[in-house]
Amino acid sequence: MKDVILKVKNLKKSYDNKPAVDGISFEVYRGEIFGILGPNGAGKTTTLEMIETMREIDSGSITVDGLDVATQGDSVKQIIGVQPQTAAFQDKQKLSEIIELFSAAYGEKVSAKKFLDEVNLGEKINNFAEELSGGQRQRLSIATAIVHNPRLFFLDEPTTGLDPQARRNLWDLIREIRDKGVTVIMTTHYLDEAEILCDRVAIMDNGKIIAIDSPIKLIKDLLKKGFHKEQKVEQANLEDVFIDLTGKGLRE
Amino acid sequence: MTEKDVPRISLRKKLQTVLTFTRLNTKRFFRDKLAIFFSVLFPLIFLFVFGSISRGGGKLSFKVAILNDSSSSYSTTFVEQLKNSKIYKIDKTVNNLTQAKDKMGKSQLDGVIYLNKDFGVVQNGNKYPSGQVEVIYTQNQMTAGQTMASVLSASLSGINAKFVNTKTPFTVSQNQLNEKSLTTFDYTFAGLLGFSIIGIGIFGPVNVFPELKKQGILRRLHTTPIKVWQYFLSTMFSQSIIGVLSIAIQFAIAISVFNLKVVGNYLEIIIFTIISIFMVLGIGLAVGGWAKNDRQAAPLSNIIVFPMLFLSGTFFPRFQMPQYLQSITNYLPLTPVIDGMRLLITEGKHLTQILPQLALIALWMVIIYAIAFRVFRWE
Repeated sequence: MKDVILKVKNLKKSYDNKPAVDGISFEVYRGEIFGILGPNGAGKTTTLEMIETMREIDSGSITVDGLDVATQGDSVKQIIGVQPQTAAFQDKQKLSEIIELFSAAYGEKVSAKKFLDEVNLGEKINNFAEELSGGQRQRLSIATAIVHNPRLFFLDEPTTGLDPQARRNLWDLIREIRDKGVTVIMTTHYLDEAEILCDRVAIMDNGKIIAIDSPIKLIKDLLKKGFHKEQKVEQANLEDVFIDLTGKGLRE
Repeated sequence: MTEKDVPRISLRKKLQTVLTFTRLNTKRFFRDKLAIFFSVLFPLIFLFVFGSISRGGGKLSFKVAILNDSSSSYSTTFVEQLKNSKIYKIDKTVNNLTQAKDKMGKSQLDGVIYLNKDFGVVQNGNKYPSGQVEVIYTQNQMTAGQTMASVLSASLSGINAKFVNTKTPFTVSQNQLNEKSLTTFDYTFAGLLGFSIIGIGIFGPVNVFPELKKQGILRRLHTTPIKVWQYFLSTMFSQSIIGVLSIAIQFAIAISVFNLKVVGNYLEIIIFTIISIFMVLGIGLAVGGWAKNDRQAAPLSNIIVFPMLFLSGTFFPRFQMPQYLQSITNYLPLTPVIDGMRLLITEGKHLTQILPQLALIALWMVIIYAIAFRVFRWE
């Protein structure tokens, strides 16, 4: 019996009578990295926003660790961490102050140094957010979303716009967070990322979930159907070349 | 799992959150040169402009020439009295009407006080002297001339009463309350404070909020358990700190450079300032909290602010307005702020003596915050 942390049942949401999310149901297990994939406009972000209590639910139900999102939204907010698509911070505020601000927002008081160290930003503690690179800003954004030890952590396209080094660094960070017992739910457009990172993925299209399983199982299913891809002799791809030439070290 | 697993955030913790936000946002403010300029230096520019305009002036005085054709002893005494009066600055170089006309044409004279040859002479059958003072002025000096005529007639009626003992059923008794007399600047200063409270309370959040929304910063905060009231309260606190500081600087300059006479109690002035900022900030929170972007925020705040600036006595005293306008503008949110400031600072009133102003501010505060909470949007 799997330990279910998120249960979505027949969830619906429409804008101007156009269904954005059209009766989806799925479960997320404690301690996994769960990916929601799909083309633009598939309803990924709307689904996430409803789970995060940011958008009203038309019908259906969402339960986060036993809490009903529609009626117990305040408690839900205390146990989830949200990393928005774009990591924006007020300027002229030091990293230590930003961590302090967010922990206060969650009603907590934490050591800024400890959390900045966790995302490898300890040296920047007295810098301003506007002095950070894109990857650093994403890491800061992650730090602000885990200051309250959330049980469920949401990331919306976390690696969009990052260079290969920064992407790999972020993957490591997401795995570290998962290893601490935090369940991670993320959306992404990069399927290689989903394949490497996610324990299970849901593929959405037109507001519906059309497949849900582990990446390996989904690939096997496809092959069973007789799918045949032109065989490649090479055991590496261009990204491997890029990393081999430029190294894994972070550039920022 | 049940809700018991998630401990409720206590009120104490929620208030600590407010204080942390206040402290961090105030700290941030002092790093923001643009924000400092608009809330601290900008009002000072107005202070210097209006202060310089009204410097030294303000008290009623006229530049006049006196032409005395009478040889009576009474007329000499009368002229002597005029010379001793502080109201008239007498131009002794003018000896005849032609010269006076020339000077009036150049606005170097406000008018001429002319005593004809019969002035002060005891006429046949009378026991007392009589005569007519003629005030001569040109169209350019109409207001000054008319005022002068009425001032003269007031002093003459005093003199008349000494000679002819008649009962006057209706009289006006003047009772100046403060020992030191008000200058125009003392009067303008309260209005300038009102202006800077608007800057801090309205333009501050109206400029900042749409930007925070655009960047998704408010939205990010909304995913945390923080509540609108916590966010509002922390903004009220930090804007009050900035506001009190800005106003303290204005006081220092007004006192040292423009000889502002502060009769009131500083603690009461500070308390009143904070209450006023709380109320006016509600307007900024409502507009900035409602607006999705700059294009909504800027015009709406201008529509609200400009009528208040002109109608609540910020730059022009309200007593110069027609009566019907005064009775309407009495109830604008900024009017009790400016009136209250004036009563506290220059008339030495106490908070307990400006209850009508405080009540009106409280009423507006309830209305404004009811709206602000209702229309606030995190994104």
